[in-house]
Amino acid sequence: MAEKIKLFVNGQEVEVESGKNLVDAIGAVGIEIPHLCYHPALGADGNCRMCLVGIEDGRPPLVPACKTRAVEGMKVQLDTDKIRKIQRDVMEFELVNHPVDCPVCDQAGECKLQDYYMQYDGQKSRMSVPQVRKAKHLDFGCGVIHDQERCILCARCVRFTRMITKTGELGIVNRTDYARVTIFPGRPLANRYALNVVDLCPVGAMTSQDFRFKQRAWFLTKSKSICHGCAKGCNIFIDHNREKYKDDIIYRFRPRLNEQINGYFMCDEGRMSYKLENEQRLTKPVLNGKVADFGTTVEGIRRALSQAQKMLFVVSPNCSLEEMRAIQQFAASQNATLSGYSDGYIKQGDGDDYLIQDDKSANRAGLELLGIDSSKTGFETAVAEADLLISFQNDLTRTLGAEACNQLKERMVLISIGSHEDSLTQMAAIMLPVASYSEKDGTIVNADRILQRYAVAVEKNAPPVTLIQAVAQLGGEITSLESAWDDLNTVVAGLNKVDFAQIPEQGLALTDSEVSNVAA
Amino acid sequence: MSDRSQLIETGTPFTFDAQRDAEFERLVKRYPTRESMILPSLWLVQEQEGWISAEAMAYIADRIGTFASKVFEAATFYTMYNLRPMGKYHICVCRTLSCYLLGKQEIVDFLNREIGIKPGEVSSDKMFSLEEVECLGHCGSAPVVQVNGEFYENMDVEKLKELLATLN
Repeated sequence: MAEKIKLFVNGQEVEVESGKNLVDAIGAVGIEIPHLCYHPALGADGNCRMCLVGIEDGRPPLVPACKTRAVEGMKVQLDTDKIRKIQRDVMEFELVNHPVDCPVCDQAGECKLQDYYMQYDGQKSRMSVPQVRKAKHLDFGCGVIHDQERCILCARCVRFTRMITKTGELGIVNRTDYARVTIFPGRPLANRYALNVVDLCPVGAMTSQDFRFKQRAWFLTKSKSICHGCAKGCNIFIDHNREKYKDDIIYRFRPRLNEQINGYFMCDEGRMSYKLENEQRLTKPVLNGKVADFGTTVEGIRRALSQAQKMLFVVSPNCSLEEMRAIQQFAASQNATLSGYSDGYIKQGDGDDYLIQDDKSANRAGLELLGIDSSKTGFETAVAEADLLISFQNDLTRTLGAEACNQLKERMVLISIGSHEDSLTQMAAIMLPVASYSEKDGTIVNADRILQRYAVAVEKNAPPVTLIQAVAQLGGEITSLESAWDDLNTVVAGLNKVDFAQIPEQGLALTDSEVSNVAA
Repeated sequence: MSDRSQLIETGTPFTFDAQRDAEFERLVKRYPTRESMILPSLWLVQEQEGWISAEAMAYIADRIGTFASKVFEAATFYTMYNLRPMGKYHICVCRTLSCYLLGKQEIVDFLNREIGIKPGEVSSDKMFSLEEVECLGHCGSAPVVQVNGEFYENMDVEKLKELLATLN
């Protein structure tokens, strides 16, 4: 833990973390210093002047809080008339050439300019000369649309491409009123994190081609979750909404701060993976080519299990730890071989040294932790003798190819329990739909062995059965997350000290030594 | 000021000629970072071509190893860089205080009558272009006129007539 220091804000004593600048230090205890250009991931630029504060120690009248370090005993003034006037003046300048097109702007409702106008400005425009006109809906590439007239030139986007992605596509050209953010002709945004500039933009200048005009920000429910796009496990907000007479639909993913995993950002691929939660979902159980109800289909699977000689269960590296344990327990009780073979989920060489991983599954570390064999040889030996195969959300066609899976179908009963329609579910004789990660609770372990918990975000009109419930109905002993953890705590050496109820929001780093697995 | 961000493309790739290439290599050693070469390189292009095209900016960026957006920023910030073709003779008339008081307007008006161009324009035969610029640092001998970078001091309409006669 960082050292604490005491300082005074408007005469009131507060305790803050040392080593931080005033915006962060004071902001952490709930006192907001308005700022537009400063962002913790991009550092202080000091160009917007919105965070000017007074320090009562004889130094020059006002200092930018983003560039001033919090010091013991400091007397910070945030609410003098002079500061209020400056804030109002800064806002007036920002709005000189702003189109004030909030009714048609996607940022409305989550716009700093709107918020600060209401909070610090609130005056009528005194502009009587024509505004400077600039370009609108410029396609910057990577699904980023730019409106130069709404831009306040805070340079967050420019700094992001220079400091974080180091691709430098954006720049501020011209000067004075004519200054604007743009790309160099023929060199558009071309990096895998580009859509973060949409989140970074404090106003509506950067919007997402995909999201714009879909939903008003204030209608969206913002639920915490974990991205399942790769083994990094970036923390996200799932922004979803149930419109009248419709189902709960996800409209976007946004990165959620987690210092030890993804910081403030996420990759575009993961961000767009929200679509997979809405689309191509399995909803109707299928028994021998015909749509059936859930119970009948479960009965069908139980019958097939009782008739089979040699069974092979294949579990997905995307399943949660609890699901993996439920399936592992069920496999043991049925005398079935369990495999986590899923090499097709790994895209060799696709990862980078920032967030994107080669492994496009969320919980492969969980397979290892539970000692589930994911080897090719293990799978091949088992499949050679099997006359029944159940896939638990594992699309084997990704690993084996459609051809090989078709051959499997010929010589054994193929059952798929999954959340999405994929090549394998189309081949399966029996198919049971279950919930995907946005609709259930669970824990996963990322590539850096950090255990994270996620919860139900989306509540469908017809909530899908979770995989744990499905396995329980088939005869598994584990019926809930809690009972799974009773098991995980005793069976898995690496997890025996983990208190499921106490997994911190930031995740729990599992180390190789069991002793240090105690939750703080 | 106006919008200078609409770059002109020539359609052909740009390279330094041998002389500018050598000059680039000489200058680059002067600076601790290669990025410092953005402004000198833009001057070299302008020396060579008279103006700076989109291709030239891309060439500079790649040659230096920096982002094209940074070259773009610098070139559009400083109005001394010409971002479109200028006349064979590019005439700059200082419009800052001393020159203003000592009659720069007469010079500008004369050029308008004589060549038919206003500040910011290029003559139709592409021989002349005219620009009003900020202080050229020769206030002691105002008003000052620059033709292709060369200074002509204590100017008046008569002297300008003589000067124009020599330009062809």
